[in-house]
Amino acid sequence: MNKLLEIKDLYANAGEKEILKGLNLNINKGEIHVIMGPNGAGKSTLANVIFNNPVYTKKSGVVEFEGENINDLTTDKIAKKGVFMSFQSPEEIPGISGMNFLKTAKGKIIDKPVKIFEFKKQVMEYVEELNMNSKLVDRNLNVGFSGGEKKKNEILQMLVLEPKLAILDETDSGLDVDAIKAVSKGINLYKTEENAILIITHNMKLLENLKIDYVHVLVDGKIVKTGNMDLVHEIEKNGFKEFKRKED
Amino acid sequence: MEKLVVNETPVRTSRNFLINNIKLEGVEIPNKLRTFDSIQYFSENTKLEKLDKKVCLVYGNGKILEDNCNENSNSSIKLNINKKDDIKLKYNFDDNNLELINRLEINANSDANIVIEYKSFTDQKCFHNGIIKINVAPNVKVKIAVVNLLNNVSLNFDSFENELSENADLEYTIIDIGAKESISNYYSNILGKEAENNLETVYLATDNQIKDINYIAELRGEKTKINIDVQGALKNHSKKNFKGTIDFKKGCKKAVGDENEYCMLLSDDSRSIALPMLLCTEDDVEGNHSTASGKIAKDSLFYIMSRGIEYKEAIKLIVKARFNKIIDKIGYDDLKEEIFKEIDRRLD
Amino acid sequence: MSEKTKVDDINRNIYDIKNKDDYDFKIQNGINADIVTEISKMKNEPEWMLKIRLDALDMYNKLELPTWGPDLSELNMDEIATYVRPKSKLNSSWDDVPDDIKETFDKLGIPEAEKKSLSGVGAQYDSEVVYHSIKEELIKQGVIYTDMDTAVREYPEIVKEHFMKCVPISDHKFVALHAAVWSGGSFVYVPKGVKVDIPLQSYFRLNSPESGQFEHTLIIVDEGASLHFIEGCSAPKYNKVNLHAGCVELYVKDNAYLRYSTIENWSKNMMNLNTKKALVGKNAQIDWVTGSFGSKVSMLYPMSILNGEGAKTEYTGITFAGKSQNLDTGFKVIHNAPNTSSVVNSKSISKDGGSCTYRALVRIGEKASNSKCSVSCESLMLDGISRSDTIPVNDIRNDDVEFSHEAKIGKISDKEIFYLMSRGLSEEDAKAMIVRGFAYPISKELPVEYAVEMNNLINLELEGSIG
Repeated sequence: MNKLLEIKDLYANAGEKEILKGLNLNINKGEIHVIMGPNGAGKSTLANVIFNNPVYTKKSGVVEFEGENINDLTTDKIAKKGVFMSFQSPEEIPGISGMNFLKTAKGKIIDKPVKIFEFKKQVMEYVEELNMNSKLVDRNLNVGFSGGEKKKNEILQMLVLEPKLAILDETDSGLDVDAIKAVSKGINLYKTEENAILIITHNMKLLENLKIDYVHVLVDGKIVKTGNMDLVHEIEKNGFKEFKRKED
Repeated sequence: MEKLVVNETPVRTSRNFLINNIKLEGVEIPNKLRTFDSIQYFSENTKLEKLDKKVCLVYGNGKILEDNCNENSNSSIKLNINKKDDIKLKYNFDDNNLELINRLEINANSDANIVIEYKSFTDQKCFHNGIIKINVAPNVKVKIAVVNLLNNVSLNFDSFENELSENADLEYTIIDIGAKESISNYYSNILGKEAENNLETVYLATDNQIKDINYIAELRGEKTKINIDVQGALKNHSKKNFKGTIDFKKGCKKAVGDENEYCMLLSDDSRSIALPMLLCTEDDVEGNHSTASGKIAKDSLFYIMSRGIEYKEAIKLIVKARFNKIIDKIGYDDLKEEIFKEIDRRLD
Repeated sequence: MSEKTKVDDINRNIYDIKNKDDYDFKIQNGINADIVTEISKMKNEPEWMLKIRLDALDMYNKLELPTWGPDLSELNMDEIATYVRPKSKLNSSWDDVPDDIKETFDKLGIPEAEKKSLSGVGAQYDSEVVYHSIKEELIKQGVIYTDMDTAVREYPEIVKEHFMKCVPISDHKFVALHAAVWSGGSFVYVPKGVKVDIPLQSYFRLNSPESGQFEHTLIIVDEGASLHFIEGCSAPKYNKVNLHAGCVELYVKDNAYLRYSTIENWSKNMMNLNTKKALVGKNAQIDWVTGSFGSKVSMLYPMSILNGEGAKTEYTGITFAGKSQNLDTGFKVIHNAPNTSSVVNSKSISKDGGSCTYRALVRIGEKASNSKCSVSCESLMLDGISRSDTIPVNDIRNDDVEFSHEAKIGKISDKEIFYLMSRGLSEEDAKAMIVRGFAYPISKELPVEYAVEMNNLINLELEGSIG
């Protein structure tokens, strides 16, 4: 089966506020999808709702992963199924070293103890690939990291945890050119025919070095148009005005 | 002549820490006073009414002073604010009005901006013991400033108490500059859901002035907020006790409490004690407090003096800059000016 | 995620092993001049020590119970035996310690730790020290590490000069009680310039029910010397209240360094009313590392008095209160000299209806110009039936200071939990990891064995021991 994620007619709220209003999305193995949209359209909400963040509530609709309904799974169970999310603003967790955290998480995902020596070696290889400061993995998780370091650390976690589907929520926002390069390198390192990526962004820079299969425009809680990279260029030129008007 | 023990903290700590209360020796509490007739009142929509009933306090400055207010007051006022209003109430102490024992109850059913001022127009010793009780109705926003500009031989006791209903918003500003001893107690019962109380204080003590400040905020309603910001400066042999308590009561889910106290020490002989308490019996809350004391930063002083301003002026400038954020909230320019002038005079 | 995770109680198995209350001698319950005199006589003490004890008893009778802090009404001195002599004399080899007592210390891992990571060990069982040893090379350097009774006999001049001088008997009621009935404890003297690299440890075990432990620790680190001293305490649980009123007096002379670490895991019927104080000389430093987990009620506020110019102190403490515990802990520091500095880092965790109070005093005196103090204080509430209070007094009497104090209170952040869960950790694991991270700044200050013990104590093993 090639199908990874299937979202059918999803409605979701943040508190009382309706944010997703009938969203549909299919992602198969081997694909890279991009979701673009104006601020407040529901892009980050989508990522969080897939992951069952308790801040949001699904009102109706279905989220399936590999054909299984994951609507009511807890966040950790969803992660164990092979879904990953790179956070827009990763949490700082004092007192826990990055390496220990990676080891623990990896152990949970593969459901057996991690062989430390090999594991560390692999992590350090990725660290080098991403051009990260090698001391960061020994520091407390994300504590005192710069914006760029935090995002690279998210990509590092993605590489190490090897999910089937990676959702990158605004991973490129606020990054300088070099950091964006490192992130895009990480994405290419991760990508195979067996996995898929969903990139949420309103920045074009990150997409330049990637082979994008689908581009979706998300406006007011719904996907209003789907296309290929040409759509990105169109938006780059004209913004989202046109799509918004269609909605009115 | 009495020995008064006032301003007890809600929770006691070791006696050796010298902060559970303040003891005042030889205080003469006046009674049987003639009416305080030097009051100025300005308002568009609210009339001065006489307050007949007693005001019973949860905290206050102790039983003796509370009873004194209820039994011997020479000014008892009630304000029922039913239409949006700007209100000024000035108690002008003069040679014929040296003693004020007052009760003031404010029932805010409509938004209001209130200023209350106690000021000496005499060099003689003034005595003030007062209660201000404010009830803020649902969805009502009240801004109030209480300004103490009594002279330096006076004695001042303030008991402030508030009750906030749902979604009420109370912005309290206290400017505590005057009186030899100024003892103030503030209790806010933040009862209604999403009610919010902002309390900002400026104090300045010079010479032998004593400030004893005891603020207590109880968060009871869901999503309630309290923010206490106290900025002060001490000079010469002055002394300040600051006790600030934020008490998260059971049921105040998602409440937020912040408390910040900053004391500038302008002289080697002044003394600052602070007890910022957080009490908590609810888990889903956020409480923060911070206090700091110290000299004025050498860097700022140097910078200002390098522009040709002499040391004393530079200090004044920095102190006033620090206070400005709070004093600026008082809507009346003339009063602001008066306060700054008084600060200048005292720092000279 | 709305369901509350239960963080398990500390696993107390090893600590709860009760030996038979099989003493050599147990003094009658209560306290009076006869009892105090009898304790002194049995110890063959010199007259001056008996006089201190009797003066202290007078003071005890005069002083009132504290008017603040936890409720002490369950404590009835008439029901407490102040002196229980175990069936063992003082030994310098574990082989000579009676089997049942040795077994207890074996299970607590003391002889094992001695082999691996300590340069001297003292072990007290009820009112008397049953084992004391110190590495040969330290003796050669002139280091003294012995029990207090021996110190009174062999080093009377030093003891006389320092005993109850750092902590006066009038300090509070339980100090007076301590001075009247004290027994056991450790005496350490580190001569000028001697650096003791490997820690010394004293372990205090109270086995006998309805009794009190009143050990006295007196440590003198002479000029330029350094020492790390560790104390551990535990007791099995009984239904009636036990009392611990120890006293620790530390003299850190000019340019000396002392680190004093404590892992306190008294049983939950213990009233822990302990007093610890350090006098710190010129350019000297005392660091306190304290983990408070046990006892029913604790009132414990180690105190540093910075008397010498340039003296420093650091306090790093964690308090973990569970069901029916009221742990009132904190720190006191007095800055009495110029250029002194103090750093306070306190954490607390409350759960299952437990109550934590951080109570503190910072006093920067008139003479302490150019001094610094920074305080950070964090409290974690694991549920809505517990309690957490922060009561810090900051008394600043000098303008030439940098003083700052910060405190925070709250629960584990939902966002942090969600982040960790998105990486595959269950909610329980995520919470455990965050709590362990919260405690890390303290556990990292402990020697490895104790950090492990502490993590065991908090039961924060990541692999699902919480649930």
